[in-house]
Amino acid sequence: MKTERLIDILARGAGPAPRHAVERRLWPVALMGLGASALCGVIVLGLVPKSVMMQWGWWVKLGYAVSLVAVGGWLCARLARPVQRLGAPQIALMVVLACMGALGIGYWFSAMPELRWLELLGHSWSTCPRNVVLLAVPPMAAAFWALRGLAPTRPRLAGAAIGLFAGALGAAAYALSCTELAPSFVAVWYTLGIAISTGLGALLGPRLLRW
Amino acid sequence: MGLDAFESGLLPLWQRAQAGDEAAYRDALLRIAARLRRYFGRRLQSLPDEVEDLVQETLLVLHLQRGTWDPGLPVSAWVHAIARHKLVDLFRRRGRREALHDTLEDLDDAQHPVVDPTEAPARRDLGVLLESLPMAQQRAIVMTKIEGLSMAEASARTGVSVAALKVQVHRGMKQLAALVKDDA
Repeated sequence: MKTERLIDILARGAGPAPRHAVERRLWPVALMGLGASALCGVIVLGLVPKSVMMQWGWWVKLGYAVSLVAVGGWLCARLARPVQRLGAPQIALMVVLACMGALGIGYWFSAMPELRWLELLGHSWSTCPRNVVLLAVPPMAAAFWALRGLAPTRPRLAGAAIGLFAGALGAAAYALSCTELAPSFVAVWYTLGIAISTGLGALLGPRLLRW
Repeated sequence: MGLDAFESGLLPLWQRAQAGDEAAYRDALLRIAARLRRYFGRRLQSLPDEVEDLVQETLLVLHLQRGTWDPGLPVSAWVHAIARHKLVDLFRRRGRREALHDTLEDLDDAQHPVVDPTEAPARRDLGVLLESLPMAQQRAIVMTKIEGLSMAEASARTGVSVAALKVQVHRGMKQLAALVKDDA
């Protein structure tokens, strides 16, 4: 077939370009991913008692995770296109991480010295990152599916963005069952779980995002 | 033609095409095809037979992914990013890692070796690949894209709803792009 003929076929009856192609593919993934992770977390690990939900530390944790979900989703949406503008979402990522870091450090120094390590390790430091990563698996699979249908040209970076997005969703879901309240705990162990998920995404990106 | 001239010629056509103007879309794709032919021609001097196949493969992807163009960025940048991606993909498939060194990028137009800008025959026949699509998709594409029936006319002839026909055409084009990739 001649190229000119192919162009005739492509153009004929083409209609307008699909609008919001990227957003329309990512939003359902975000919602389904959050639903699946939250459901898994709450069914397997249980929901925190109401008394925990009354504590500001719990809301800080949830807020941190949800902010990273937003930033990760934003990065995914930008990296799903062949040419990307990454400035604004990168700054947003730095701001969120810096805020949580500052909160964690501030909390560490405001606590009584003999309590600092106890609060940093809590009662679940050894399982927290693992649970975050496990709960990140369903949204990660869904997000890879979504980006495979779009046109990412930087597969490693796009994979990392997927890992960040999924890790943050996993963290948000895990926050529903985790009773740790110290910001220093969240800043270290939640961040570690999300970082592992991000690394995993970066490893898988070049393999899964071929087109 | 420099990049700026290419962009300024293409952008108004492209904007109309994105809004649904088929004549403008056809015109834009013809310009892009000429550009791609030169772009791939320079970088595939040792594989001249691959050029037209890659042009067609890239045009199919551009069509399927036209929703991913960010109106805040130049169309030419979007086209080049996809073309470069397809080129790298071709090299990877052929296991020619050394060819990835993009030294020709640094040369300006006058320094480049001369490449024949006319269309060479494609090795791969898209018409044959089209025939291997599932019956319904193939029929939808032939009627609306080759015979030139409107969606309503094709719907009346087959008894399939317009919405279902649109889905069949879209799935068929996606399937065709996948076949092209497997075939390469």
